Amino acid sequence: MRPTPDHPLAAKTLNVWRIGSLIETLFFMLLPLAYWALMFVLPELPEWGLYNLVGAIVLYRVLDFLLIQKLQWQRWRYKVYENEVELMHGVFVVRRVIIPMVRVQHVDTRQGPILRYYGLASVTISTAATTHEIPGLEIENADRLRDQIAQLAREADPDE
Amino acid sequence: MNEWKRQHPIAIFIHFLNSLRQLIVSFVIIFVFGTTADGMNIELVSAIIVIILLFTLLNGFINWWKFEYIVLPDELQVHQGLLFKKQRYIRKERVQSIDINAKLIQRLFGLVEVKIETAGGGNEPEFRIIALRRENAVTIKRELRRSETKSAQADTDKALLHWPPPMQQGKEQNSQQTSDAFQKHSADVDADVPDWARGGESESILSWDDMKEEQIEPEYEWKLTLKRLIIMALTSSGVGIAATFVAAIISQAPQVLPVFMLDWIVGWFIRSSIMVVASLLVTVLVIAWLFTLLTTSLKYGQFTLRKWTNEIHISRGILEKRQLTLKSNRITAVRVVQSPLRQLFNYVSVYVESAGGGTQEEEFSTILVPLCKRHEVNDILAATLPQYAYTPSYQRLPKESLRRYMIKLIVPALIVAGVLTWSFTYGWIAFLLPALAALTGYIQYKSAGIAVETHQLCLRSRVISKTEVMIPRRRMQTIESTQNLLQKLNDLYTLEVSVLSSIMGKQFHLRHISKMQRSAAFAWFSFENPDASHEVEKEE
Repeated sequence: MRPTPDHPLAAKTLNVWRIGSLIETLFFMLLPLAYWALMFVLPELPEWGLYNLVGAIVLYRVLDFLLIQKLQWQRWRYKVYENEVELMHGVFVVRRVIIPMVRVQHVDTRQGPILRYYGLASVTISTAATTHEIPGLEIENADRLRDQIAQLAREADPDE
Repeated sequence: MNEWKRQHPIAIFIHFLNSLRQLIVSFVIIFVFGTTADGMNIELVSAIIVIILLFTLLNGFINWWKFEYIVLPDELQVHQGLLFKKQRYIRKERVQSIDINAKLIQRLFGLVEVKIETAGGGNEPEFRIIALRRENAVTIKRELRRSETKSAQADTDKALLHWPPPMQQGKEQNSQQTSDAFQKHSADVDADVPDWARGGESESILSWDDMKEEQIEPEYEWKLTLKRLIIMALTSSGVGIAATFVAAIISQAPQVLPVFMLDWIVGWFIRSSIMVVASLLVTVLVIAWLFTLLTTSLKYGQFTLRKWTNEIHISRGILEKRQLTLKSNRITAVRVVQSPLRQLFNYVSVYVESAGGGTQEEEFSTILVPLCKRHEVNDILAATLPQYAYTPSYQRLPKESLRRYMIKLIVPALIVAGVLTWSFTYGWIAFLLPALAALTGYIQYKSAGIAVETHQLCLRSRVISKTEVMIPRRRMQTIESTQNLLQKLNDLYTLEVSVLSSIMGKQFHLRHISKMQRSAAFAWFSFENPDASHEVEKEE
């Protein structure tokens, strides 16, 4: 049996995701706003529809903020072996990937404003056919991992 | 060779026709509005149209007159344009593909079109000569190929200098291995340059026409017989689509037909027996089938598959000839597809995925064999792509996965049936749907299978058509498994394998495999496992 990967993401990644979740909530709030505006045009729209909509969105977003993001973070695991990288993540759908070093085309680290604020970066691994992301590592870790993967990818024996 | 040249004068005419095709809509608009609007008479409209036509013709002439090209030892130069002059220099080693094509219009005059593309995108080819004598086109190609081969060779040499691992250097290397090493170098390691952007690949562009001229007989040739072409059209799913189309046209007829005719037809329908109505249905089907036969013949008529050492050439089409060259070591997967109708007669089609080398829509999945008997597949593959010529021993999925296949189809069918029953008098007939869904689910489960061979992974699955896909391990980019909450109940997984197809990735799935099967596939693909059965993989 193959062992499951054991490296977690940086703890602060959860903060980044929660901020992302809040921003997303703002977009969700556009829905009741649109409904409210529509009520002026179509007076027959019931008022309770608005309350239900707001209620459902608030419930979902609170759940997302408190629970789903946390679970997502907890379930994220990765491991860098000598010849391959393995990722495992997902709450409702658990996804597990093997990316052989020989197939790696390039590795990047990326950093948005929120990640930068927390001193984190994401590592993106691309093969000829697919792209995979480790979404939150301490910046030094990310850089080291990037160099390590790049190095291993360069050394990897294509005849293996 | 080294002098400025123009295209064949027929280019003027082709330009003219091309512009005409774009203009025709505007002409219709001018004509319709022009003749109905006040103060515009038919003479004026005609005059405008004639002027536009003359202008178009003149434009075609200028295009031809001011388009000159020259093939120099290391570069192709083009000067074009009268007012807006454009000079383009294409270095030979940057040329990625040369396509010699003959569309209908070129074929009328026995000419060809040459398209030369370099790496670096854009939809328009970098260089396009729309009318040229075949021999000139072949000369250009040969000229460009000569230096390409040289540069590819240089690349290979360079690659070999610091590329192959020591153990391979020790071995005897035939040319095949050399090109393999190069291939790997470009495909897997040189991350900075995408492999499709490398000059070396353009070796693959010799069309079989050149070959013919050089009098090299193919090692293998396979032709689609007329009988098979007809069977192909007859069993094609296009028939259904065409039938719907014909039916739609017929149903629109009342709006076009005059009232007395409509009355007559409706009266006739009421008076006529079921037999007559049935014969009308048959007529619809026959028309649809004739239509499909026509389109299929135009597309796949004269289908020929030829093989030279490590290149596969496909040519097909009656009015518009299409040619395609595939390098056998660029093939990333082989698919054998069988629709239920074809399954009855034991016919299949074979597709290949290729990492580059095709043209336009074909480059993602190319048809290798449009139609043949199932048992012939191995023979054809043995002659063309020998590493795929075997019969995989498929392992069935666990019995728990039957539930997943069936429930997934039955639930939506039940909902639809429920809604229909509720809203229509005879809606309960829709409860046949869940039964059909259950049957489909069962057949899907029966068809699904996985085979982990020494060097290849084979997945067999069915949505409607049964698809078997064979993927060599060294062509697989990644392996993935997913598990949703329902699958978790029975510890089932969906397997997903990615390969390179053209410049994009392509994924193959197999749903609801057991944990053991998932582990076996992962262990087989893993590059960590020291006792894996595939120490060194080589392409035959």
